[in-house]
Amino acid sequence: MSELFRLISISLVLIFVENTVFTKAIDTSTLISVSRNRKNIFGFWLCAVYFSVVTGFLGFFADKFLLESGIKNEQTYIYQPFVYVAILGVVYIITLLILWKFFYKKFLKIKKFIHLSALNCAILGAMFLNSQNCTMLSEYIFRGIGTGLGFMFAIYITAIVYDRLHDASVPYCFRGYPLTLIYIGIISMAFYGLASTTVR
Amino acid sequence: MNNPKKESLSSVIYNSMVRNNLVLVLGTAIAPVIVVANTLKNAAILALTFSVITFFTMLLSSFIPQKLVYTVRVIIYIAIGALVYVPTAIIISSLFPQALQNMGIYFPLLITNSFIIFHSDTAFLTEKKGRMMLDLILGIIGYDIVVLIFGLIREIISTGEINGNVITLPILFKAFYQPFGGFILLGIFAAVLRGILLLIKKVSN
Repeated sequence: MSELFRLISISLVLIFVENTVFTKAIDTSTLISVSRNRKNIFGFWLCAVYFSVVTGFLGFFADKFLLESGIKNEQTYIYQPFVYVAILGVVYIITLLILWKFFYKKFLKIKKFIHLSALNCAILGAMFLNSQNCTMLSEYIFRGIGTGLGFMFAIYITAIVYDRLHDASVPYCFRGYPLTLIYIGIISMAFYGLASTTVR
Repeated sequence: MNNPKKESLSSVIYNSMVRNNLVLVLGTAIAPVIVVANTLKNAAILALTFSVITFFTMLLSSFIPQKLVYTVRVIIYIAIGALVYVPTAIIISSLFPQALQNMGIYFPLLITNSFIIFHSDTAFLTEKKGRMMLDLILGIIGYDIVVLIFGLIREIISTGEINGNVITLPILFKAFYQPFGGFILLGIFAAVLRGILLLIKKVSN
């Protein structure tokens, strides 16, 4: 039971304290882009969590494979990205095929944004962070859940103020993108205070 | 991007490097800028790695047939990025052994930078090869210039140094060294560029 609580707390920390967007700035570009186009935001969220968990799960076996393959520790960083991208690609293609075959109507809706939710720095970054911080399969999965939900949380926090950040009353020079960055910076400052950890 | 016949070289340069600047206008690949480019040296290494990975990835991606659906094609772009990353990582680590450590996970994350994923089809890969190359090179140069200026100013105001050489400043804003400071400073940079563009528009009118 205590192990389950520990794993849940890992996920909660990744959502509310060490949020990958607000403390590590990972995938801010996608965040800004998605909060701008809020039409498919719920579908995007679900896809991001799904890819984060599945790639986190497979990342465990990839790390094990790299560890046992005889590649020197200091050279792992060279081959690790290629292995992770291969995993991401396979999961992405299989997901597309399943959706196309069995849920064609859903596939038509999802195909507009699925590449954004799957092939982004948050998902790939989560795999790298997992390999640095996890040793057990359960940790990989719960960190995957935490990263996916944390990304959702960051999008929500940015999307709810979108109209205000783009309001005509805001001076033209700061309206929209510049003010969004400053807004994320202030939120990030609060998260940084909570996390009080160093980046990387 | 626009019709090449109607555009002079100076307007192509202006549009690619300034008006559609990858960092300050389009918001592309900003995570490494916010976290890594906190000194001039780190900014220079980021500019170099971004340039190499993005240029070769986009160049090789331009040979992928446009008949393929974008949803599928984009994974091929990223796979190409991952392939380009391997020799780049080997060369960079032999030239600057400390560089990869400084960049951490942000170096491999350049493979999935939003420039390759978002803007590849909407702008670059739909153009003719020559024009694509010109826009690509100018876009990358625009990114590099901003990253270098950003790294330089951030280093000066947060540490009071330029590449390790101390400058006497009355006050230091150490917070700008941190990622949240990077967000705020980049937001100010974007606002300043927008102000400059507005001024240019007013003057030309």
